[in-house]
Amino acid sequence: MANTLRLYLTCIRNTLEAAMCLQNFPCQEVERHNKPEVELKTSLELLLNPVLICRNEAEKCLIESSINSIRISMKVKQADELENILAKKFLRFLSMRAEAFQVLRRKPVQGYDISFLITNYHCEDMHKHKLIDFIVQFMEDIDKEISELKLSVNTRGRLVATEFLKQFI
Amino acid sequence: MILLQSPSRFLLQILQDRVQSPEKGVDLDCHSVEFGDVRYHIQISMKKPQVMALSVSLPIPPPEAIFYSGLPVGAIEAIKAAYGPIVQILDPPKDGYNLTMKLYLSKLPSDEEQRQALLVKIASVREVVLGAPLRVVLKNLASKTVAPDVDQLVALVHRPEESFFLVPQTEKVIVVYPMRFQDSIDIVLASSFLQEFVEARRTAALNNAPPCMWSPSPPLELKGAPAEALTANAGFVTFVIFPRHVEGKKLDRTVWNLLTFHAYVSYHVKCSEGFMHTRMRRRVESLIQALDRAKPDTEKMKKVVQGKSFKRLSLKEARGS
Repeated sequence: MANTLRLYLTCIRNTLEAAMCLQNFPCQEVERHNKPEVELKTSLELLLNPVLICRNEAEKCLIESSINSIRISMKVKQADELENILAKKFLRFLSMRAEAFQVLRRKPVQGYDISFLITNYHCEDMHKHKLIDFIVQFMEDIDKEISELKLSVNTRGRLVATEFLKQFI
Repeated sequence: MILLQSPSRFLLQILQDRVQSPEKGVDLDCHSVEFGDVRYHIQISMKKPQVMALSVSLPIPPPEAIFYSGLPVGAIEAIKAAYGPIVQILDPPKDGYNLTMKLYLSKLPSDEEQRQALLVKIASVREVVLGAPLRVVLKNLASKTVAPDVDQLVALVHRPEESFFLVPQTEKVIVVYPMRFQDSIDIVLASSFLQEFVEARRTAALNNAPPCMWSPSPPLELKGAPAEALTANAGFVTFVIFPRHVEGKKLDRTVWNLLTFHAYVSYHVKCSEGFMHTRMRRRVESLIQALDRAKPDTEKMKKVVQGKSFKRLSLKEARGS
């Protein structure tokens, strides 16, 4: 299980290192505008081929790149009902704080759970390899957090049940 | 605090304060609302400082568990038995309340321990009044007397417009709770908690606890129940209470635990959600710190001198200018 996680993350890291070659590119259509081309997708010559990396049917990562911006969308594993709501709750919590994260997108791309949008400005402000480190660590942390939340719910449930039933003995 | 406590802290505090310093000199008129829509109103006037008027309002019962004369079956007898000469029930109760009692503080026993025990009992008026019909059924079980309602479905109120069900039998009492929650997240968390109850019962240490079952559909015991009672979005929990669970001192505790089971689960579901929020906030902070590490050093230096609007010059630039 851990094996596939490392392979998955290494593959994502390598793809990001290749895809994150961003430079400033003012908008071709409108004067004095500078837009992230990956969001608009109007001019095909500015876009690179999107890459989809799947760990299994439930988990995948879509990396779309363009000349001045890159969009990374993730789908997180959700095995049962409880993991489903925990993931939704946690990712919504993160998305609402997208301002603080700068590279996070407020709404995930259709069909995915969470999305990042990195522009050339971010690459100018921050070291590229550290940014990629951050993205990969983010993915690991989400998985860890959701399984820890689920564990805490189960542990609390067990404790609550034991205390209640002990009252009858 | 994991378990819900029977005496209301609000009532107990006021009673203890009054008894300790009866010549306080101020009139008292307080309201309080507790979980499950139970309201209290306390009044003390300095004209008669030894008399306290306590009014209790109970949650609205659903149609299958209607209160006759405004109180659950057996409530008045239970109050008289628990409090004796200290309490006088006023009829009719104050407007908007199900019960109004006059407490004669001068008639409290002078022995410190007995007085404290009685004050705690008065603060547990909710358990005495709402739990009266349940207490009657369980007392019959403890004394192994055959009750008139054996094998029939008894509905009792525990929340506004919701009830739980008892099936008294000769050797045991089966208690069934339809669990309903309004929030969708609550429903999923509660379902996982309730399944833990079943799992926990299986451990060897809890062999003497009441057997516990959970099912998403109404169990067979609820065959005669009205249709609204049969919808429950977090399943049905069934406990089987045996005489050993209600003998002697355990009777009061069992009554309170069964009466507040839904409130207990709901309380812990909310605590769990609060804890998850704290964890998520902590995780967000650590992620933002990781992002800050991605920024090069000059940016970080600017952050250190927050609030000052000058640009920090490096040594080279300072020498040049």
